[in-house]
Amino acid sequence: MSSKEKPTEVLDVRGEVCPYPDVKTQRKLKSMKSGDILEVLIDYPLSAERIPRSMEKRGHEVLKVEKKGTSEWSILIKVK
Amino acid sequence: MIDTTLMVSGLVVGLIFGFVLQRGRFCMNSAFRDILVMKEYTLVKAVALAIVVQMIGFHLLAQMEIIQLYPKAFYWGAMIIGGFLFGIGMVLAAGCASGTTYRVGEGMMGSFVALLGLMIGGVVTSGGALKELKLYLQPTEGALKAITTDNPGPYVGNNSLTLANVFGLDPWIFVAIIAVVILAVLIWKRGSEETKVEGTLYEKIFKKGWNWWVTGIVIGIVGIMGFLAFKKYALGISGGWFGFLDALISGDLDKLNWFTFLVIGVVIGAAIAALIAGEFKLRAPDARRLLQQFIGGIIMGVGAVIGTACNIGHILSGIPQLALSSILGGTFIILGCWVTAYIMFMRG
Repeated sequence: MSSKEKPTEVLDVRGEVCPYPDVKTQRKLKSMKSGDILEVLIDYPLSAERIPRSMEKRGHEVLKVEKKGTSEWSILIKVK
Repeated sequence: MIDTTLMVSGLVVGLIFGFVLQRGRFCMNSAFRDILVMKEYTLVKAVALAIVVQMIGFHLLAQMEIIQLYPKAFYWGAMIIGGFLFGIGMVLAAGCASGTTYRVGEGMMGSFVALLGLMIGGVVTSGGALKELKLYLQPTEGALKAITTDNPGPYVGNNSLTLANVFGLDPWIFVAIIAVVILAVLIWKRGSEETKVEGTLYEKIFKKGWNWWVTGIVIGIVGIMGFLAFKKYALGISGGWFGFLDALISGDLDKLNWFTFLVIGVVIGAAIAALIAGEFKLRAPDARRLLQQFIGGIIMGVGAVIGTACNIGHILSGIPQLALSSILGGTFIILGCWVTAYIMFMRG
């Protein structure tokens, strides 16, 4: 696991409400290739905690969750 | 105007409740919807645990004659239709009554718009254009009238139906069975999706989202505090907001009720929690989503008045009193949520 890994694609769900950040992340990951890395930009606390948990359960690898600022996070997910 | 003691106790319980809701991300819309959409059980476990804590707490307090239980009236038609509407509304609004209220404190403008819808829908149904619909579903005579009992059994302060008095059994039998079943399932399924919260105690309380079991126990305790403070019921959200808008429109401060001070406290408590955690931010989704949340709020408001309570009044506060009305209303809130979530998020 390296924090230097560059995202293949970026999904910006800032402003979105429950559960769209999760649903959009899931749909985006489905459209990507194995080994690709998705960066999710998010400002909704509940999903910022739930997305890493539920994506790991689906077999994807969560590389990093970083708090970028006030209610802003970046989540790096590697597609399984 | 309600007396000062009640005002202050409402505000104080609300502050604590809001703080806990924000830290625990406690939203029943997420809790029930996630079972279906995400196969995620974290929040629903918190809900179940809170119900167990309160069920035991309420019945202990009632047995000690400190409180009496006040299960809501069993208007079966109103519970089914109101509950189902509320369930549809909360998915569109992206939050139940409590979830919407605490997110207003986080600065989420979509939830603020949903809250305006909730208040409008509620006031229109309780005393406005939709009043006839409410009266039709909550009549004093006919097939839809409330089914009552002449023998309410111990602890119950009215003639509403509970699991215990319907079966003519001691309430503790049901308390014990429900508690054992829920706790057994929670222990059985423990750890499968444990959130690993790391850091110092300060960080765990003020900076990170809480573990589900901490949230469940603390929400349960807050509910018991609510019953002790208000005496006639535990927690409720939607009724507080309806009283707020009613008082604003009529200028009659008597319309403010205990729950009004509770919900104001919730917004402030959630805002404090979000500010400390670095999670307070004014933000809004796009126009389409705002409209969706507004409509959802209205439907929730209509549903809460027809069904006589929201998710908090029924599921969090009513089910622990073993109220049949809340069990039926809560069931249809969940069904409305699932049908809507299926249509919105799971097709295609």
